[in-house]
Amino acid sequence: MSPSAFPDIAWGGLAPELVMVIGAVALLLGDVQLKPSVKALWRSTLVILVIALGLGVWQWVVTEPAGEMAFGGMLIFDPSAALARLVVVVVSILAILSGRSLFFHLGNRAAEGLALVLLASAGFVLMAASQNLVMMFLGLEMGSISLYILAGITGDGVRSDEAALKYLLLGAVASAVFIYGAALVFAGTGSLGLAEVGSFLTRYLLLSPAVLLIGIGLITVGLSFKVAAAPFHVWAPDVYQGAPAGIVGYMAAVAKVGGFAALARVLLSGFGTFRADWALVVGGVAALSMLVGAVMAIISVDIRRLLAYSGVAHAGFILTGLASGSPGSPSVWFYLTVYTVQLVAAFAVISALGGAAASGSPLSDYRGLYRRSPFLAVALSVALLGMAGLPLTSGFVAKLGVFLQAWRGGLEWLVIVAVLASAVAIYLYLRVIVTMYMQSPTTDDALRCDRPTFWALGAATAVTVVLGVFPQPLLTLVESAVYL
Amino acid sequence: MLTLLVLTPLLGAVVVSLIPARRGELHMPLGMALSVAPLGVAGAVFFSFDKGEASFQMVEKVVWWEPWGIAWHLGVDGISLGLVALTTLLFPLSLAASDSITHRRKAFVVAMLFLETGLIGSFLALDLVVFFVFFEVILVPMYLIIGIWGGERRVYAAVKFFIYTALGSALLLAAIIALAVIHASQTVGGALSFDFPTLLALDISPTAQMWLFGAFALAFAIKVPLFPFHTWLPDAHVEAPTAGSVLLAGVLLKLGTYGLLRFNLTLFPEATVSLVPVLAGLAVVGIIYGAVVAIVQPDLKKLVAYSSVSHLGFVVLGIFALTSAGLQGAVIQNVNHGLTTGALFLLVGMLYDRRHTKKIADFGGLAGRVPLMAGFFLFMAFASIGLPGLNGFVGEFLVLVGSFPSLPAFAVVAAFGVVLAAIYMLWAYQRVFTGPLTGTANRKLVDLSPKETAILAPLAVLVLLLGLYPGILLDRTAPSVEAILDRIEQTTDYEAPSPSRLADVFVSASEDEDR
Repeated sequence: MSPSAFPDIAWGGLAPELVMVIGAVALLLGDVQLKPSVKALWRSTLVILVIALGLGVWQWVVTEPAGEMAFGGMLIFDPSAALARLVVVVVSILAILSGRSLFFHLGNRAAEGLALVLLASAGFVLMAASQNLVMMFLGLEMGSISLYILAGITGDGVRSDEAALKYLLLGAVASAVFIYGAALVFAGTGSLGLAEVGSFLTRYLLLSPAVLLIGIGLITVGLSFKVAAAPFHVWAPDVYQGAPAGIVGYMAAVAKVGGFAALARVLLSGFGTFRADWALVVGGVAALSMLVGAVMAIISVDIRRLLAYSGVAHAGFILTGLASGSPGSPSVWFYLTVYTVQLVAAFAVISALGGAAASGSPLSDYRGLYRRSPFLAVALSVALLGMAGLPLTSGFVAKLGVFLQAWRGGLEWLVIVAVLASAVAIYLYLRVIVTMYMQSPTTDDALRCDRPTFWALGAATAVTVVLGVFPQPLLTLVESAVYL
Repeated sequence: MLTLLVLTPLLGAVVVSLIPARRGELHMPLGMALSVAPLGVAGAVFFSFDKGEASFQMVEKVVWWEPWGIAWHLGVDGISLGLVALTTLLFPLSLAASDSITHRRKAFVVAMLFLETGLIGSFLALDLVVFFVFFEVILVPMYLIIGIWGGERRVYAAVKFFIYTALGSALLLAAIIALAVIHASQTVGGALSFDFPTLLALDISPTAQMWLFGAFALAFAIKVPLFPFHTWLPDAHVEAPTAGSVLLAGVLLKLGTYGLLRFNLTLFPEATVSLVPVLAGLAVVGIIYGAVVAIVQPDLKKLVAYSSVSHLGFVVLGIFALTSAGLQGAVIQNVNHGLTTGALFLLVGMLYDRRHTKKIADFGGLAGRVPLMAGFFLFMAFASIGLPGLNGFVGEFLVLVGSFPSLPAFAVVAAFGVVLAAIYMLWAYQRVFTGPLTGTANRKLVDLSPKETAILAPLAVLVLLLGLYPGILLDRTAPSVEAILDRIEQTTDYEAPSPSRLADVFVSASEDEDR
C-alpha cells in the first residue's frame, strides 16, 4: 500500500456536474479574456447544459447507476440521484431559455449570472447525490449561495436587494441549523455517512435516542427551510416577489428538487428505522404547509406571492408522499418533476409579461391577458391548472400518486387534509384564470414573447398535458428511481 | 363503439379549434353538425343495446396507468343508457339555440364539445379514476361557459359553482383512494385496483362503508343538488347562458343522481340501507323546499332552477326507496327532467333573447302574441307537473308508488310536491302568458321562428313518447335496476317490500305492445 496513492475518483459518475462546473469557470474566464457577446455566452450555457443532459441520460440508460459509492462514501450514484440530475438540468434548460431577456438586461454581468445558474444546478445535484451529511451541506451551500446572489443580481432596485439579503440571512440560519443537526447525528451515531448511520441504527438499539432525534429534527428543519415548508416558509413570498422575474422560477424549482432529494435520502435511507418518530412530524409539517399555503395564497394580490404560497402548499403535498416512508418514494419524484416544470413555465409567463428584470407582479397586470396574448394566457392557465391538480394535467397524476402512497402508508388523516387543501387551492388558481379570461385588459397592447420563451413554454405546456393523459413513461421512470 | 362515442365530441372540438377565428360564421354550424355525430353513435348504441342483459354491455378495457391498475374501462347498462342518449340529444339542440352568443364563438363551441366528452365519459366510465377524471374535468368548460358567456354576475356564479363542486369531489377522491387501498389489502400481492366491477367484490366493514358512503354521497349530493347543498344552483342557472342552463339542468345534475345510484348503492349496500332515512329525508325536504321557493320567485329562470331542486328530490327519493318501482322511476325521471327542464330553459332563453328580461312581472298576456311559444311552454309545464300521458307522470308516479311501501310517510309528504309543482308552474304560466297583454315591448314580440320550433319539437315528441310508451326506456333499464336491488338484498338483510313489483305491470304491458 503506497502512502501517497492518488484516490480513486469516479470521474464518469460525476461527469455532468464536472461539465457544469468547468463550464461555469470557462464562462467567467472567457468573459474576461474574449469579451464575447451576451448571445454567445447564453448559447454556450445552453450547450453546456445540453451536454450535461446528454451525459445524464447516458448515465441513466447505459451505465445504469447501481449505487456505487464515490469519493470515500461521500457521493452515491443511484437511480434517484440520476433522476434528480435530469430534473435539475431540464429545469435549468427551460429557465435559461425563458430567462434570455434577463441575461441580456444584465449586459456585461451576464456571464456571472449564467455561471451562477450552472453552479447552483451542479450544487443541488451534488446535494441530491450525497451520502454523507457534510457532503450534503457542501452541495446545499454551493447551490444556495449561488441563488442568494442570483436573487439580487440585477442590483437595481430596493425590492431585489431586500429579497437577496433576506434570502441570505435566513438561508444562513437554516444552513447553521442543518449543520448543527448533522453534528448531533454524529454525536448520536458516531458517523456522518447516511449508510453507516442507517446500518448503525438497525444494529443497535439506542436506549436514549434524544440527541439523535434532536439531530434528525434539526436536519429536517434546515431542509424544510430550503423547500419552503411551513412554518419555515416566511422568506419565500418576499424573495419570489423581489427577485428578478426571469430567474425566480429556476431558483424555486432547483431548491425544491435538491431539498426534497436530500430530505428523502436522509429520512428514508438514513433514519428509516425511526420512521415512527419522524413520520408524525413530517406529516404535521405537511399538513401545516398545505393549509397555510392555500389560505395565504388566496389573500395574495401579487401573483408571485401567490405562487410562493402555492409553493408552500406544494411542499406540503410532496411531504405527504414522503411521510408515508415508502422506499424510493416514486410519487415524490413524479410530483417534483411535474411541479418544477409547471413552476418554471408560470414564471416564464410572468417574466414575459412584466419584464425579466422586474420585481413584483401585481395580479391586476393580468387582466384580460387572454386578449393581449392568447398563447401566454393558455400557457399560464395550463401551468396553474396543473398546479391545481385538475385531471388531464400532470398535476392530477402527481397528486393521486402522493395521496395513494400516503394512504397506503397509513396516513389517512393527512390525505383527507390534503384533498381538502387542494380543493381550497383550486380557488386561488381560478382567481388568476378569471383575471386573465374574464376581465377587461387595462391596455390593448398585444404582448409577444421572444422565441426561446415560446419554445420553453410550449414544451412545458405540452409536458403538463401529455403527462396528464399518458403518465405511463414518467411513472415507470420514477418507479425505478430508488434510493440505494 | 363507446370509445368512439366519448371521443367524437373531442375530435369535433379539435376540428373547430383548427378553423381560424376570422371565419367566425363557420364555428357554430360546424359545431352543431359535429355534435350530431355523437348523437348518431348514441342512437346506434341505444338500439343495439340488449334489453335482457343486466350487466355492462359493449365493454372496452385497455390498461392505461399501469402501476396503479388504472384502465380505460367503458361500458353501458340500463342506468347509463338513457342519460347518454339524453346528453347527445341536448348538445345539438342547445348549440342550435345559442345564436345569441355573439363573442368568442369558437371558444364557446370548443368548450361545449369538450363538455360533451366529459359528460359522456362520466356516464360510461367503469374505472373510478377514469370516472373521477371526467367528473372533475367537466368543471372547466362549464365554468368557462358560465363565466364568459353568462349574465351580469357571471364570474361570481361561475366561481361559486366551481368551488362547491370541487370541494365535493375532493373527498370523493380520498374515498376512491381508500377503496383502491382496501382492494390492495384484500388481494394477494397487494395490487391496487380502481376497476368498478372488481371493487364490487370487496368486503368492506360497516364502519368503513359509512365513511366511504358519506364521501361519495357528499360529492353527488352537491351535484344533484340535494338540500342543503343546493345554494350554488340558482346562481349558476340564472347567470349561465341558455345552453349552459339547459346542459346544467339536463345533464350535469344527473351526474349526482347517477353517481348515487351507480356507486353508493352498489359499493356500500349496508351503509345505503342504514342511511335511507337521512337521504330520503333530505330528498323530501328538497322536494317541498324547492317547490315552495319556486312559487315565490319573481324571476322565471330562477323559478325553473328551483323546480329542478324539487324534481331531483323525487329522483333521490326514488333511489333510496330501494324498491324496483322507485329505482325505475328514478332512472326514467332523470331522463324526463332533462327533457322538460331543458325545454323550459330553452323557452325562457328564447323569451329572454326577445325581451332581455326574465322577470315574470315584466310579462303578461303573451299567449295572444306568441301562441306557439305559449303552447310549448304549457305543454312542458304540464309534463313537468306530471300530467298523465306525458313523461313526468310516469317518473313521479313510479317514484311515489315505489316509495310508498318502503317509506310511506316520506311518500305522502312528497306527493304534496306534485301539488306545489302545479301551483308554481301554472301560476307562472298564468302570469306570463294569460290575461290582457301588458307593456309596449310585449306587443312587439314575435313568435317562435321555424328554427326555434325545430329545436323544441324533438323534445316535445320525446316527452309525449315517453309519456305514452315508457317501455322504450323502462324495458332497457329494468334488468340493471333489478340487479342493483338483488345485490342489496343479497349483501344485507334488507328485503324490498313485495308491492314494489307494480312496476312489472308497466314493463310487461309495454312488452305486450311490442309483440
